[in-house]
Amino acid sequence: MGLGDGVGPGEAAAALAAVGESRSWLADRATAPWWYHPMFGAFNGGLIAVGAARSAVLFSWSVVGYTFACGALMWWNQQRVGVRIQHHRGWENVVFIGQVLALAVVAGLACWLGVAQGLRVAFLAAGALALLLTVAFGKLTDVVLRARLQGRL
Amino acid sequence: MTAPPGFNDLVHAPNRLQICALLAVVGSAEFSTVRDALGVADSVLSKHVAVLHDAGYVEVHKSTCASRVRTSLSLTGAGTAAYEGHVAALRAITESVSLADRGPVRRRAAVT
Repeated sequence: MGLGDGVGPGEAAAALAAVGESRSWLADRATAPWWYHPMFGAFNGGLIAVGAARSAVLFSWSVVGYTFACGALMWWNQQRVGVRIQHHRGWENVVFIGQVLALAVVAGLACWLGVAQGLRVAFLAAGALALLLTVAFGKLTDVVLRARLQGRL
Repeated sequence: MTAPPGFNDLVHAPNRLQICALLAVVGSAEFSTVRDALGVADSVLSKHVAVLHDAGYVEVHKSTCASRVRTSLSLTGAGTAAYEGHVAALRAITESVSLADRGPVRRRAAVT
């Protein structure tokens, strides 16, 4: 017998193990499929790369398409997982801010090189870099999210 | 024999503990997702959710999407406190035993 009313240490350990299993199940389910982050990367990269066309109309329509596509992808993922995860907590917030800053720097450099220096190819290179950065930060978000859901953070 | 502080009989039932464990780390979860996680029938989950809801630990939200009613569950502040207190009590029970196990070993080491 343990300290709880009729709850022994074995039962307490089994209950804690069941909690851990539930958390692991949720962490597995919440992890995005392999193509999720590359798709977001393609959206981010595409929005930057379209700057090479130097067309305000095309860029405006791209922003509309980008917003719709990102919203639809996030909505689909939430339906798939079946939970509303509060992402902006602790380390996930740090990773998100890091991603936004990195993409802002890449986009800023592309604008400077592409518009001020006349290097149109800079938009395409920045688009490719944005894709890679989005995938890297997305994978990092998955790692941090898994750790939090499993109670390791 | 006294229960450690925070021990909650209502939360301790295996299915209810798992429901709280899932809801404690997310904003809300679909009824069907929690059902799949527990591997129980809808009626069983409904019964446990009703107990938690009556205790003020779980909120039930119903919304209509494409003419389908979706039910989602979330843990209230009282539910979060009850769950965290209960998990702390369970840890206290297991740790008290592991400390008791370690005691004689330390004493034996001190003798040798």
